[in-house]
Amino acid sequence: MWWGGRGRSFNIPPQKEPEMGLSSPKSVQVSGAEQSRNPPCPALRCLPGEKVLASAPGVRRGLEPEIAGTLICTNLRLLFRPQGWQGRQDSILNSDYDFALSNIGRLEAVSGLGKPQILRPGSLLKFVPDEILIHGRDFRLLRVGFGDGGLEPLAFRVAMAIIQARAQNRQVQQYKGMTLSKACCGLGPSEPPVPLLDTPEDWEAERRKQGARGWRVSTVNERFDVSTSLPRYFWVPRRTLDSEVRKAFGHFHQGRGPRLSWHHPGGSDLLRSGGFYEASDPNREDIRAVELLLQAGHSDIVLVDTVDELPSLADIQLAHLRLRALCLPDAAEEKWLSALEGTRWLDHVRSCLRKASDISVLVTSRVRSVVLQEQGDRDLNGLLSSLVQLLSAPGARTLHGLQTIVQREWVAAGHPFLTRLGGSGESEEAPVFLLFLDCLWQLVHQFPAEFEFSEFFLLALHDSVRVPDTPTFLRDTPWERAKHNGQEFNSYTQVYTSGSPQSPVGDLISRPLTVWDWGLRYSHQQIVQFYNPCYEPQHCSDSPPPREQPTPSTPSPPRSILLFSRGTLTPLNQLSPWRDGFSSIMSSSRWLLRHNSSSDSLADQEWGLPPHWGPSPLPPGLLLPGFLGPQIRLWKRCYLRGRPEVQIGMSAPTVSGLLDELAQLQQLLRTWSSGVSPGDQVATRDPETPLSLSR
Amino acid sequence: MGGVNGVSSGSRIQAPGPWGWAEPPPAPPLGAGGRRCRRSRSSGDEPLLLLLLPLRGPAPEGSEMLGKGVGSGGGSKAPKPSFVSYVRPEEIHANEKEITEKEVNLHLLPGEQLLCEASTVLKCIQDDSGQHGICGKLVCTDFKIAFLGDESTLDDNEPQFKNKVIGENDITLHCVDQIYGVFDEKKKPLFGQLKKYPEKLIIHCKDLRVFHFCLRYTKEEEVKRIVSGIIHHTQAPKLLKRLFLFSYASAKQNNTGPPHQTVMFDTIKDWHWELERTKGNIKYKAVSANEGYKVCEKLPAYFVVPVSLPEEDISCFQGRGIPIWCWSYHNGCALLKMSAFPKEQDDSILQIQKAFLDGTYKTIHKPPYENLKTEELSNSFISLQEIQTSYSKFKQLFLIDNSSEFWDTDVKWFSLLESSNWLDVIRRCLKKAIEVVECLEVQNTNVLLIEENASDLCCIISSLVQVMMDPYCRTRFGFQSLIQKEWIMGGHCFLDRCNHLRQNDKEEVPVFLLFLDCVWQLVQQHPPAFEFTETYLTVLSDSLYIPIFSTFFFNSPYQKDINVHQRQLSLPLTQTKSSPKRGFFREETDHLIKNLLGKRISKLINSSDELHDSFREFYDSWHSKTVDYHGLLLPHIEGPEIKVWAQRCLRWIPEAQILAGGPVAMMTKVLEMMEEVKNLQKKIDEKPSSQPAPPLEALPLLRRPARLSSLFPFSLLQRHSSKPVLPTNSWKTLGDEEDLAKQEDEFVDLGDV
Repeated sequence: MWWGGRGRSFNIPPQKEPEMGLSSPKSVQVSGAEQSRNPPCPALRCLPGEKVLASAPGVRRGLEPEIAGTLICTNLRLLFRPQGWQGRQDSILNSDYDFALSNIGRLEAVSGLGKPQILRPGSLLKFVPDEILIHGRDFRLLRVGFGDGGLEPLAFRVAMAIIQARAQNRQVQQYKGMTLSKACCGLGPSEPPVPLLDTPEDWEAERRKQGARGWRVSTVNERFDVSTSLPRYFWVPRRTLDSEVRKAFGHFHQGRGPRLSWHHPGGSDLLRSGGFYEASDPNREDIRAVELLLQAGHSDIVLVDTVDELPSLADIQLAHLRLRALCLPDAAEEKWLSALEGTRWLDHVRSCLRKASDISVLVTSRVRSVVLQEQGDRDLNGLLSSLVQLLSAPGARTLHGLQTIVQREWVAAGHPFLTRLGGSGESEEAPVFLLFLDCLWQLVHQFPAEFEFSEFFLLALHDSVRVPDTPTFLRDTPWERAKHNGQEFNSYTQVYTSGSPQSPVGDLISRPLTVWDWGLRYSHQQIVQFYNPCYEPQHCSDSPPPREQPTPSTPSPPRSILLFSRGTLTPLNQLSPWRDGFSSIMSSSRWLLRHNSSSDSLADQEWGLPPHWGPSPLPPGLLLPGFLGPQIRLWKRCYLRGRPEVQIGMSAPTVSGLLDELAQLQQLLRTWSSGVSPGDQVATRDPETPLSLSR
Repeated sequence: MGGVNGVSSGSRIQAPGPWGWAEPPPAPPLGAGGRRCRRSRSSGDEPLLLLLLPLRGPAPEGSEMLGKGVGSGGGSKAPKPSFVSYVRPEEIHANEKEITEKEVNLHLLPGEQLLCEASTVLKCIQDDSGQHGICGKLVCTDFKIAFLGDESTLDDNEPQFKNKVIGENDITLHCVDQIYGVFDEKKKPLFGQLKKYPEKLIIHCKDLRVFHFCLRYTKEEEVKRIVSGIIHHTQAPKLLKRLFLFSYASAKQNNTGPPHQTVMFDTIKDWHWELERTKGNIKYKAVSANEGYKVCEKLPAYFVVPVSLPEEDISCFQGRGIPIWCWSYHNGCALLKMSAFPKEQDDSILQIQKAFLDGTYKTIHKPPYENLKTEELSNSFISLQEIQTSYSKFKQLFLIDNSSEFWDTDVKWFSLLESSNWLDVIRRCLKKAIEVVECLEVQNTNVLLIEENASDLCCIISSLVQVMMDPYCRTRFGFQSLIQKEWIMGGHCFLDRCNHLRQNDKEEVPVFLLFLDCVWQLVQQHPPAFEFTETYLTVLSDSLYIPIFSTFFFNSPYQKDINVHQRQLSLPLTQTKSSPKRGFFREETDHLIKNLLGKRISKLINSSDELHDSFREFYDSWHSKTVDYHGLLLPHIEGPEIKVWAQRCLRWIPEAQILAGGPVAMMTKVLEMMEEVKNLQKKIDEKPSSQPAPPLEALPLLRRPARLSSLFPFSLLQRHSSKPVLPTNSWKTLGDEEDLAKQEDEFVDLGDV
């Protein structure tokens, strides 16, 4: 037996297991005091408030070689600890073996040759399992087998503990964010910390970086009284007053009025906004304020109906569920391609890419204000605006750039992560963020030399959305996040004294951990893999020369207002739906569509094939992704992780192998030129190893 | 004819000698112009940086890293002429003036004759800005259809790499797949005598290009002449002696190129060499019984049989029913093949055949030979019919007449792809090959492949097995030798399967293409294991239709020998009435053979269930281990792993182009680093240790390469404008009208005429 003699090497207090294994819900709410009474065992460094419920020795199966270790169930997660763990690893959470309870998609217990039993929260285990299969919602699969050697009770207990913990996890999502003494800072010392965008300074710095001179940071939502889902600070046109902003935002759905999302160095602006609040009856001044905000000093305005041609939230959720079913290890592969098409997931990816690519052409080629408008402004707007930035701005394609975008367009902008990822148990689950990551993966795949981050980084991000260590993705709104962080937001004075008393140094100590603290979950070797060896930063420098900035002089009425919809631009009569009593006619978030009348050729309109396209050259940094059927690929490394046979040998090691060899040779040359006799180095360099094609 | 594109005096074009190989295209373009490249190249002793990955890490000497890989085993071969089909970058840019002239002037290969021509033809191009026409001349020669137009308006469109023989607007007659005419907006296939002549000609090529020629402004008699000329020369049945190959051969002097290492297997020495290489020479012997094709016209002059097989058996049934050696594994197991007996009604003959087969099996079913397992490919595997149907469905996915058609099918891409069944055919071939590998590797049995002529599926399976098991076959020369051994000498009927003579459409089955596609799957899944890249395979697939190589234009070595030999003696080619397609492709299953063999099989192999289990076990256990790229190599055959050969299939579709993206971006990086590694290694090797190192210089070759598109090296148009996303009716109000007007002047806008 593999655990013979070493059975006690995992230092979980054995007396704890029996009582915890069938613990009552009460025991889940562990206070800090209780924790100090039961110090976490050295084998498992617990998160604050985390408690071990049960554990059993087992063997990880499915991959060669099988690894012996312990399956542990806590009130937050399920994890597998290989033997001899603590020596190698200093991070608390492990990206390979940790399953947040909310991440468990399907739990199966297998006994002998019998039919596997699917364990749902509340169900009773009918037999002693030989093996437990944990299918993650993030497509991971953990197979833990239990040996026979009088350990059946442990296996049974751990399985029951998982079932119960999952049941309780549904109701209790409270957990205290942790502040570790050890400061895990982002990717490493060389990378600047990701701006969390919870201070006006962060916003101001970002604004300067983008060169958005016509914009300023508004503090109107400092106390979340304009909208709880909006960040405390955002960018509005320099010429507008906060009172105007407040007035105008009231006429938008959930108070989410138009705000700057990204300023293109060429002069145009990308804005995002919620839908108009139809029931309101704004007066003339309010309408003017709304129009000013939308116009943002440009003479041309293009309104983009975000949801048009994009999948609905229900579509996304359905597609994702189907995709998960398809990627189960035992799924039939007879009709693989049709089944893949049937999920429609790739279709959704494609439509997002297509729309994003259209909009980035709009934004980069002419000077105008492009407004993304979605009723809620919290889902697809974020997806589109992030993608547009990644396509158009070379600077956004760095690791830091991407993290900033996610922080700004998703976290700060109030994407309801908890709801969308099914954490709150409500029905509005839809993995919009995962759809975004897939789109991004397609870009990384299509342009291997244009992104600083690698597929592994996307994978890490993909897996981080449910990890219970940071509140970044476990909250729905910035307001909840701020509440959680215990920040005070009831003083007006803070606004006007910004910059003086609160020194950022003091903040840093109590700075809550975010998902960007990769050191928490990933080892140094893994973080090194986040970087793409093929990245060629050469294109970053050549940004287009700044064109005419919008003249911030007279707010003249816009010269043209266009609606971008179904790949075509249609002129609009007016900007807001209320003037001239039109409001009653308007249907939900739709604009007054006129393109039905001018139906030239349907095929042309549908696919937007013009007889000729304006000659404006595209800026050099712009990426135009392919979105044809053959070009949209399945993200195998992510979705087929449950099928280890598909995973093996997927990465051709050529590039990294060559890089290694290059480094080696340069090193050799350096030693050489510094006068050291090169004899032994040459001898030790095995001609086969540098490019040794082992994985 | 010195500077004429394609036949510049420096290049070597092979007369219809035994073998011709297209080189893979050379390195990616370097910087802005050719002059820089030339300078950087002048000192280099490496001829070209091929788009090849090294099979191994650098050899100890370091400088050998690029080309040679493992395959130096074939180095002892006699010099053979070779063919280089791609110009080097410096040649392209060498004389730009000449290039522009060339575009308008037709250049003919030696022996090529102009047959008919028509002027003021518009070649329609669809790109971002809609359709353009380029005015020019359409000509048809006895070698190709060519469009001569002035495309200099599309400046910097000069592709950096192009085929030396086939220009961008050239279609060899054998490459034409289907011709359509457009009559009043309706598309109809054209064949035979026409009563009415179309206003537009659409040509679908076998390499998946699609050409549109608008004839609306052409004079009527010219239209008649060119259309009927093209139809006649591409679609009417032809005689073998009318192949352009022969006129080219008699006009072109035979140049001997540099030696190359491809083993041709046309001498007994080559077979001895191969036996020695695979250590099969103890149990197998090369025989010359068929010298002068006395025994059989299907078999090569020399081949290898088991040592214990009596030589008189070979001639008993014209080479049928005897096991012929393909290859030996290092554990002593061998892969054999056998042509089955034709269907026989007569009972007594059947008896004789049965007795003969029993005798044969007896000789090879006892020590020193391993147990024998037979694989019946004619009946229990894919039929040629299936291959044909699925490919014809598959290729329709890529033969696209216009963008909107493409977009229409795009939504259902995956199900269309699946319904074509092509990927499944590939999967089944790979699976069968893995099964054979399992027998050889795990069960230590000999495997005997049986097919009616042992020249179609036999070729696929035996070559695939060798590619998977023998690292030599994964080098370029090894691969070429393999094709020479299994396909050319194995008697694969290229002439019929490619339908070069247009004599019988039913015989046209892309068997060789299927093999290349299977190899492509392997290359795709394990790129470091191969010396060649997918581009090599793509170029190879194209050379099937270029009738200046004799390699792929005969049905058997016998047919080639008699024809080529007689031509070289410049005797009139007497068409021997040995019809080349005598009974090669029978659709009805041969029950008698099945029965006859069925008994044997039941004796020799285990039940199929067991077979499946052991296959699965073997497959899973291999894939759970680390891949040794110099050893056994198995493909993944799961659904998600079998892919479309995108480079071959999508390269002519402008919508599929991703600028600055695609695998070529990765490849550029790899090449760049390889160059750097090589330079550093050179420095280390040369440097006397006393001198201090000069600072590392920027490398000349691949520094800052231009952004290549995903279709490289086949992309025809560089897209400077954007994607067709926005319509212009409303857009014009925003854009500067002048520029639009300027652009309109450059092309004849088809929308207005």
